[in-house]
Amino acid sequence: MARRRRGSAPRLAPYLFVLPNMLVFGLFTIWPAINGFNISLYDSSNGRTFEYVGTENYERILSDPAYWETARNTVVYTIAFVVLVTAASLALAILLNAQQRGKGALRAAYFVPVVISPVVVGLIWSWVLTRQNGVVNELLRGVGLPAPGWLLDPALAMIVIILVGVWVNLGFFTMILLAGLQSIDPNLYEAAKLDGATVWKQVRQITLPLLRPTTMVVVILAAINGFQAFDYIWTLTGGGPVGATTLMVQYIYENAFQSPIQYGLASAAGVIFFVVVFGVTMLNYLVGRRREAM
Amino acid sequence: MTRRTLRTFTAATALCLSAALVACSPGTTEEEPAAPAGDGTIDPAEFEGKTLEYVYFTDGPDEEATRELIADFEEETGATVELSIVPFDGLEQTLQSRISGGNSPDVARVANWRPYEDVLIDMTGYFGEDYPDQFIEGIAAGALGADGGMLAVPSDQTMNGPLVNVEAFEKAGVELPTAEDPWDWESMIADLEKVQQANDMEFAFAIDKSGHRISTVLNQFGTGFFNADGEVALDDAKAAEALGLLDELMQSGAASKDFWLEQGSRYAGANEIFLAEEVPLYLSGNWQVGLFAEAAEFEWAAVPNPCGENCGGFPGGKYMVAFEDGPEPELAAYFVEWMNRTENQEKLDQLASWLPTRNDLVESGIEYPNRGEDMSVFLADVAETPEDAYATAAHPGFDEAATVLIEEFDKTVAGQQDVGTTVSSLHATLDELAAR
Repeated sequence: MARRRRGSAPRLAPYLFVLPNMLVFGLFTIWPAINGFNISLYDSSNGRTFEYVGTENYERILSDPAYWETARNTVVYTIAFVVLVTAASLALAILLNAQQRGKGALRAAYFVPVVISPVVVGLIWSWVLTRQNGVVNELLRGVGLPAPGWLLDPALAMIVIILVGVWVNLGFFTMILLAGLQSIDPNLYEAAKLDGATVWKQVRQITLPLLRPTTMVVVILAAINGFQAFDYIWTLTGGGPVGATTLMVQYIYENAFQSPIQYGLASAAGVIFFVVVFGVTMLNYLVGRRREAM
Repeated sequence: MTRRTLRTFTAATALCLSAALVACSPGTTEEEPAAPAGDGTIDPAEFEGKTLEYVYFTDGPDEEATRELIADFEEETGATVELSIVPFDGLEQTLQSRISGGNSPDVARVANWRPYEDVLIDMTGYFGEDYPDQFIEGIAAGALGADGGMLAVPSDQTMNGPLVNVEAFEKAGVELPTAEDPWDWESMIADLEKVQQANDMEFAFAIDKSGHRISTVLNQFGTGFFNADGEVALDDAKAAEALGLLDELMQSGAASKDFWLEQGSRYAGANEIFLAEEVPLYLSGNWQVGLFAEAAEFEWAAVPNPCGENCGGFPGGKYMVAFEDGPEPELAAYFVEWMNRTENQEKLDQLASWLPTRNDLVESGIEYPNRGEDMSVFLADVAETPEDAYATAAHPGFDEAATVLIEEFDKTVAGQQDVGTTVSSLHATLDELAAR
């Protein structure tokens, strides 16, 4: 069979295969993103009339103390969320993988929060954690413990949204890691056992290194997920108390869709946010690839 | 195609696309003043067979009343009205998206018409320069555009005021206030604490988390955001006194601090606290009458607002607007006018427990079939409410100022800043808004 010459016509085929998807992606993601950047250079309160303001929206945002407070909240939330959800889902995946009975039922149980509507998640937890009549505080009072204002104290409210975020996403990330675990050759563990390796040593020396690529995917997805958190927080705390749980997506949403509408300002905040999230994701990816290559 | 060629082609396309987009304005760059769309004559006979879309948000029982009136309109004109119900929270977003997408509805019910100012029909173009005179002066003034055209028709007004649990007051042996002998804030709080204790209630006082409702208290303490000339009218000392009192109520537990802070930046009604009989008095407004008539399992009543330097409450209201870019602008203008004729507004007010906006209906009064006495209390407070309160409510910057008031007052309630700082921040915002 004759070898194909490099750069000949058949190389176009792969691009044609992805073309339909790229068209949809371009139309509904890339085009709005470019248009969003364009709008960030204008001032508009109605989406019909636009006044060119150059970089004024960016200057306004970067000099707005509320923006920086929101940025700080977002960073705190994302770091804590990524660390906790990765560690918890890793631990849970290892436990589930070692489970002999009821594995399917347990997996389903942990996956349930993933399929619940975020709005419902927010409402459920707001009822559970309300200071006056919330389930948690009723239980605490029942055993003579103080009943804290989970959604009233700024620090506690931040901890609450992080933990609820972990609860919601735990099942999803556990499933990804479980799939990674099941692709590890069981003979490696057999050999380690024969050599007298403890369970902890097996985890440290076999599981974690071989699971690194999957863990990196989880970290990247969790970071994106953390940066994008909004819906359940909106129904749980409304960004309160006193803005303590207002994250960046809520800041953008409020400027874009709540009176007074400021499309340009919201778009500028969106552009900055995109650059940051893209940068962090790429950094994660590159660090992961470098470690993989080592 | 080589890989290099493909890359070059992709990069060049993306660059050209971006450059072209960035060079383009996403819309028109100049605000176009709204012009009267009509020629002053409308012939209702032409509307037979035509269809009109009315985008509507509902406060509760008013939807059925509106449908009933629409049925009358359809019978009279032969036109069809499609009622599109949207949630209040998404109203502005929905309308703006539709208008900018070239899919404007004909008519909408809105709480704030100014975001659509450039696409609204001037009703005086169809119904004459003196058309605004049919409505209460303070409210009509709030419906006029910059060039004096009437861009919105006030369809119902709201009046903030207290609702009380009558059974709880009777059990405590505490007299309810009357229009002749109203409470002041001090006597009201003292009475409420007595009622709270006698009934073992959780709180003494409840108020919605709303800048509009706090404006009621500011008004009673003799101050507000703006005066009739659009200038800042906030008296810092009086505002600090009013906000200090509300903060004290929450810090002492007489009002729910939890309710206030757990809502974040969202609006929240405290009606559930009142309906659960956890509080003897709830400062809200007349729109609760229809809801409580159906939902309250105890005897309740509206009572006159407490008097401080001023009496009365704080006005609000909804407007009907007709869009000039809608499919049937003439029919839209006619429908808005028809819905707000004396006999039609009266019918709607009676069925929906609304307060009228027309001078003739305010003068003649309305006989409400249900809870008429409560509606009369709110109507009486309309007359007690000072002009500056109407000016504040109608000011284009009111919504933004109210949002800042809530954000800053939250910090006071959370113990992060004193009342003086809250008032200073509010004053700075008002100065900025007045200068726009």
